[in-house]
Amino acid sequence: MDNSTPLTEALFYILLAVRTPNHGYGIIQDVSDMTDGRVTLGPGTLYGAINSMLTKGWISLYSEDKESRKKKEYLITNTGKQIFQNEVKRLNELIKNATKMDD
Amino acid sequence: MLKFKLYYDKDEEEDWLKKMCLNGWEFKKFFLGFYTFEKCEPGEYNYQIDLLDSWNGRKGDYADFMEDTGVKVIAQWWKWVYLQKKASDGPFEMYTDAGSKITHYNKIKNFFKVALIIEIICFFIELFATINTGSYLFGLFTALIGAISLAILKIVWKCKWKIKQYEQEQNM
Repeated sequence: MDNSTPLTEALFYILLAVRTPNHGYGIIQDVSDMTDGRVTLGPGTLYGAINSMLTKGWISLYSEDKESRKKKEYLITNTGKQIFQNEVKRLNELIKNATKMDD
Repeated sequence: MLKFKLYYDKDEEEDWLKKMCLNGWEFKKFFLGFYTFEKCEPGEYNYQIDLLDSWNGRKGDYADFMEDTGVKVIAQWWKWVYLQKKASDGPFEMYTDAGSKITHYNKIKNFFKVALIIEIICFFIELFATINTGSYLFGLFTALIGAISLAILKIVWKCKWKIKQYEQEQNM
């Protein structure tokens, strides 16, 4: 995906959920809370999205609990923040133009 | 309890495992079409079946990630994994948006395409063997492989159809 295409809802909310270090289950919970349960990420969807964003450098591995080996935490990178801000800009433009409907 | 079944369609297989669990049988193990079940509370678990990208490399990473989300990898057959989640931990669907569903069914489609090519090659080898020898045994094998090829072809078509549906959903 190049930087100009709109983010999918899943990617948008995952980026938001890793603004502070977060792990798999935490991301699912946060996204569900933020959207009042409207967006529920399936674990397969999340796993695929995380791996693709790690490859693209939008997020990075923050920590790995060596003892339990289970809870990998992820954190947004500067590239990821840039992608997110571009999307917000695009969404703001949509909202701004949407008000024309009321005129 | 041990049951023998051959499934090509993982969606149908998932439905069957869920149904077995609703009847109080928890799926435990899989080996070459043999499914092992143990008694459980009716409807205690939900099941999903996934296809991994590679069958060795990052399997541990995948299993750890799933465990963090309350999902257990209970069985594996080559690149296919059987996943279980407690029904009390909420609904269980591995892929929840059109994009990831398309990726998922594309993976399955490509897997069966390779299988189909292999089956078709085997089919012709058996067919020529049948013609050359006139042996009933070879004829039987030819028919069997032919039937398997058709079953796989059906899955490839079904995947294509599903992908098309999800693409339409995505482009709306």
